[in-house]
Amino acid sequence: MEVLQSLRYSLYLIFHPFDGFWDLKHEKKGNLKTAMLIVAMVCVTFILRRQLTGFILNEVKLRELNIIVEILSVALPFFLWCVANWCLTTLMDGEGSFKDIVITSAYALIPIILINLPLIVFSNIITLEEAAFYRFFDILAIVWAGVLLFLGTSVVHQYSLTKTFLTSICIVIGMGLIIFIALLFFSLLQQMFSFFYTIYKEVALRL
Amino acid sequence: MRARRILAIVFIFVLLCPAVAHADEPYSNYNYDFWGTPIPAPAAYVPSRIIDGRALDIDNFNKPSDLFTGPDNRLYVADSGNSRIVVINENWELDRIIDGFDKNGVRDTFRNPQGLFVTPTGEIYVADTDNSRIVHLDPDGKFIREIGPPVSDIIPADFKYYPTALVVDKANRIYIVAQGVNQGLIELDHNGDFVGYTGASKVKFNLIDYTWKMIATDEQRERMVLFVPTEYNNIDIDNDGFLYVTTGTIALEDIDYAIRTRSKDDRYAPVRKLNPTGTDVLRRNGYFPPVGDVSFRSRGYAEAGHSQLYDVCVEDSGIYSVLDKKKGRIFTYDTDGNLLYVFGGIGNRLGNFRDPVALDIINDQFVVLDFNMAQITVFEPTEYGRLVKEAVELHLNGKYDESAARWEQVLKYNANCELAYIGMGKAYLRKDDFRNAMKYFKLGNKRDYYSKAFDLYRQEVIGDNFGLVVAGLVVLYIGSRVLKRIRVRKKAGLKAMGKVEA
Repeated sequence: MEVLQSLRYSLYLIFHPFDGFWDLKHEKKGNLKTAMLIVAMVCVTFILRRQLTGFILNEVKLRELNIIVEILSVALPFFLWCVANWCLTTLMDGEGSFKDIVITSAYALIPIILINLPLIVFSNIITLEEAAFYRFFDILAIVWAGVLLFLGTSVVHQYSLTKTFLTSICIVIGMGLIIFIALLFFSLLQQMFSFFYTIYKEVALRL
Repeated sequence: MRARRILAIVFIFVLLCPAVAHADEPYSNYNYDFWGTPIPAPAAYVPSRIIDGRALDIDNFNKPSDLFTGPDNRLYVADSGNSRIVVINENWELDRIIDGFDKNGVRDTFRNPQGLFVTPTGEIYVADTDNSRIVHLDPDGKFIREIGPPVSDIIPADFKYYPTALVVDKANRIYIVAQGVNQGLIELDHNGDFVGYTGASKVKFNLIDYTWKMIATDEQRERMVLFVPTEYNNIDIDNDGFLYVTTGTIALEDIDYAIRTRSKDDRYAPVRKLNPTGTDVLRRNGYFPPVGDVSFRSRGYAEAGHSQLYDVCVEDSGIYSVLDKKKGRIFTYDTDGNLLYVFGGIGNRLGNFRDPVALDIINDQFVVLDFNMAQITVFEPTEYGRLVKEAVELHLNGKYDESAARWEQVLKYNANCELAYIGMGKAYLRKDDFRNAMKYFKLGNKRDYYSKAFDLYRQEVIGDNFGLVVAGLVVLYIGSRVLKRIRVRKKAGLKAMGKVEA
């Protein structure tokens, strides 16, 4: 019941972002459960979109669906954003906790679900000439979600717009850094492993 | 008991049955699907015979480098190493040998002739490479004239002229491919006078290159690869006078880019069709541009790497084939640029080549000249190959129904033939059977035509159900009005109640 109410609140939030995000945090209109549900719904939306978009606009190999990849392609950037966001805003006097950030970011993704689901149906009844409408709404969903993400960050940390803008850029750079360090870590780990394995092999062969 | 006996008999029968449809060509037959995956296909052409010196009862060929199908189906071979032209008749027997000619009373011979062309009237033009000239002979092999190096202000004085291939159009203009010329083709008028270079691809402005050059130092700039326009390596001409040329100087990254983006840009095209002004007009509407193989292993494997197109031959119908010198494959495309079939390969068996250099078609049979093995391999079409070709040709001639019938047969041989599905779809579309058209276009992965069929189908559905659609809209409208009214009343009622309570 709580979840349903919170989801209904998200419909208000996407049209009134300033009040919406404020109440989301201070009036406890949002909760983590709903946030996770929204992220899961975004994953499902992307999978449905991949598989069910009309033939004319869909150029992927339908037979080669990898659900794990699809889920990760949504969940990984999302949590990367949240982590980078938290890392930076903690240093820059942000007022939001990690939980606040996750909830805010999740609610900002609502337009993606709301626009893409009808768009899947729409894509099945249009021709190539009308594809421009499809593209328009496709982009609208992303821009809308992007603006909400931006405003959400601003409200939850009580930043001015300029500060939010700079922070957002830093967050994106931070995401890149995290990926870089993760790759570095794994590659080093792999090299270390292969180093010890070579030693083991050398010793085993000599004995 | 009885059932078991029958089963046993069936088993024995199956075991004794020879394997049907056994592919014995020493190469793989395939075609690319929409995603660029090579899908096995039936053989379209199979090798039927080898023609070499022994078969013709003459000295063996020595480094032959060109062949050409003349009128009345004679095959002219430029036997470069022996400095002679060998003419073969329709029955694959020796017709004659031209190893010299009488030039104004003096006996003259060729020196390493690497290209030749025979006009529809039977006149022979020979690119007499090491003699730096074109020799023009009449149908009997008698000398008419010779055309020496082109003379012009724009040609440097130390220019070494080695013509290697040529064609002559109906107005007797001569187009020559010469070694080391990267400005395109050399065009001569009917007198043999130099007109100009033609067919070089235009250098287009590239912002990235420009920016790099701006920030680079002078030394770096010098080290940067100069943008060299195309150097052509072979040429053919169709009935309408369009020139088909191949080139091997496209950067491999550019070819990769063209494959990846399904580019129609002629700058990345190793085969081009030039109109009289030298502009490329080749249609590249297939899934991929005509570049030979579009998916291949990287280095280290036997059949790795890009195709290297070396010769092109165009048929009367506009279907053209290119020869991949590196992998010994022949790729045939229709006028829209759809890949029809692939055959041939490198090796030592019948149907293989070691160094294929020239390709032509004679009576529906492909002839491929091998420089290294000094022989000609003849390929003849299979039933499948013939059907595909007929289907394409009938469609070009506007006989759509007959074409569709051929495509239907093609599908019996090869259910993976996307082109056949498209052909069938087009036929259904013409018959206003939009549902079937959509089905076949979907099978053929043809989105633009699917969209067309779908548009018409949608119109049909809406047209048929127009009454229903209107009725539905009316009901929706009235329904919404009624709902609104009920809501308003409820609110009013509540308010009234509130007032009473107050």
